[in-house]
Amino acid sequence: MSTPVTAAGDLRRLVVRGLRRDVRVLDGLIVNTALPVMIMVLFVYVFGGAITTGSSGLAYIDFVVPAVLLMSGGYGAALTAVAIAEDMTGGMIDRFRTLPISGWTVPAGHVVASVIRNVLSSAIALAVALLLGFRPVASLTDWALVLALVTGYVLAMSALAAVWGLLVSSSQAAGAFSFVVLFLPYVSDGIVPAQTMPGVLRDFAYNQPLTPIIETMRSLLLGLPMGASGAVATAWLAGTVVICVPVAAVLFRRRTSAR
Amino acid sequence: MTTTTDTAYAPATEALATVLAPTTRPPRPSAWSASMTFGWRAMLKIKHVPEQLFDVTAFPIMMTLMFTYLFGGALAGSPTEYLQFLLPGIMVTSVVMITMYTGIEVNKDIEKGVFDRFRTLPIWRPSTMVGYLLGDVLRYFMASTVILLIGLLLGFRPGGGFAGVVLGIALLLVFSFAFSWVWTMFGLLMRNEKSVMGVSMLVMMPLTFLSNVYVDPATMPGWLQVFVNASPISHLVSSVRSLMGGAPDMGEIMWVLVSSAVLVVVFGTLTMRLYNRK
Repeated sequence: MSTPVTAAGDLRRLVVRGLRRDVRVLDGLIVNTALPVMIMVLFVYVFGGAITTGSSGLAYIDFVVPAVLLMSGGYGAALTAVAIAEDMTGGMIDRFRTLPISGWTVPAGHVVASVIRNVLSSAIALAVALLLGFRPVASLTDWALVLALVTGYVLAMSALAAVWGLLVSSSQAAGAFSFVVLFLPYVSDGIVPAQTMPGVLRDFAYNQPLTPIIETMRSLLLGLPMGASGAVATAWLAGTVVICVPVAAVLFRRRTSAR
Repeated sequence: MTTTTDTAYAPATEALATVLAPTTRPPRPSAWSASMTFGWRAMLKIKHVPEQLFDVTAFPIMMTLMFTYLFGGALAGSPTEYLQFLLPGIMVTSVVMITMYTGIEVNKDIEKGVFDRFRTLPIWRPSTMVGYLLGDVLRYFMASTVILLIGLLLGFRPGGGFAGVVLGIALLLVFSFAFSWVWTMFGLLMRNEKSVMGVSMLVMMPLTFLSNVYVDPATMPGWLQVFVNASPISHLVSSVRSLMGGAPDMGEIMWVLVSSAVLVVVFGTLTMRLYNRK
């Protein structure tokens, strides 16, 4: 039985493995570097001049940045499902089972590697936004809270992706999750004001988890009144992590013991 | 001890004549016949792998619905109003995006070794390539029809009427056929289908998004307008939009027809040179 110290060592090695794999897989590297740049440029320059931000009165770049930060980190986080599914179906898991390591560190390694990688991806998106003219008025505390929100979102999406990756039987099926995550910000108050959407979509946009997260980030970055969005955002993120982490652990144990 | 000597059996000429075809050798198939046969083969592939049609049906529907309802209100005041502007553009984007599958199919056949078989046949050399493209034109037509029907259901009302829509789709098919030659060339150049897909996405994504498909270029920064207005996709969208809208822009239509001819001449020639060297 492994001690907390050896388990931490196992986790560290598996995180390093995950990060190394990302550097070596060209597709992943492009997703994590080019995608944030492309999304930011596309929305600011192609759509920015035509989209009205409604009653907020914000410049479009100020309006869209929080959503793009989440899109950049979230899409890569969703690909955790593919990485886990590949390990589960590609025989790698049988190798791990012969090693004296804690079982939970395998999915946890994927999740932690994903958080590191995708928070960096969001940082690239932020750097591009600043180059394009985004001028936040956030204090140091506000920046820390924004970082916490982005990290929390990436962690929640990675944990959810881990559950999905353990549920499905192939890496192709696991890949479907990334499209859901990439699509979710569009049906929120992040890319276009939800008030401009038709009834059903508007109701969904106001009540889905991304809208309060985006509104909280917007408030922190631009010094706007926050209201209840901060508490709702925290509840969504904490709830997702608290539910998904133990579920992933149970699923992993079941999948590996049934072999 | 006895030895047996084997003598080779030589059939009589009369016996041979009864089993061999008495008629003369059949004529070589014409260029048209060979191309149509390979076109039919491409269509049979669709029949046997219906998942291919996802890009022709589900993807365009999703794009149309997403942009109409999510962006319509913010870009044009209402989804229905935006749809009048968007639909010809979405049709162009969806069809032009699926042209890259021609190159992928060519590459797959090369990897499987099917191409080596084709090259031993007494047929017009380009017919294999032309066949792929003829088969794909059917897919382009299907995609156009699906988008048009969805558009009509959502409230798209073309000012050009039936004739304008037919001419718009015809022009789109002409350009797509010509543009497909670019991907057949890449299909022959690249080592595997993943590489073909990577290159085509790298070209297609900027071309389709940095165009007048989704928004009026007048709302974009000056430096970007220069690129957008020069984009072949923008010219194609403008001409299809003008035909469907009932006010044909002859300058844009001529631009599309001339560029289609140039694409066929340049990339068709390059494709055949690569094919002959394979």
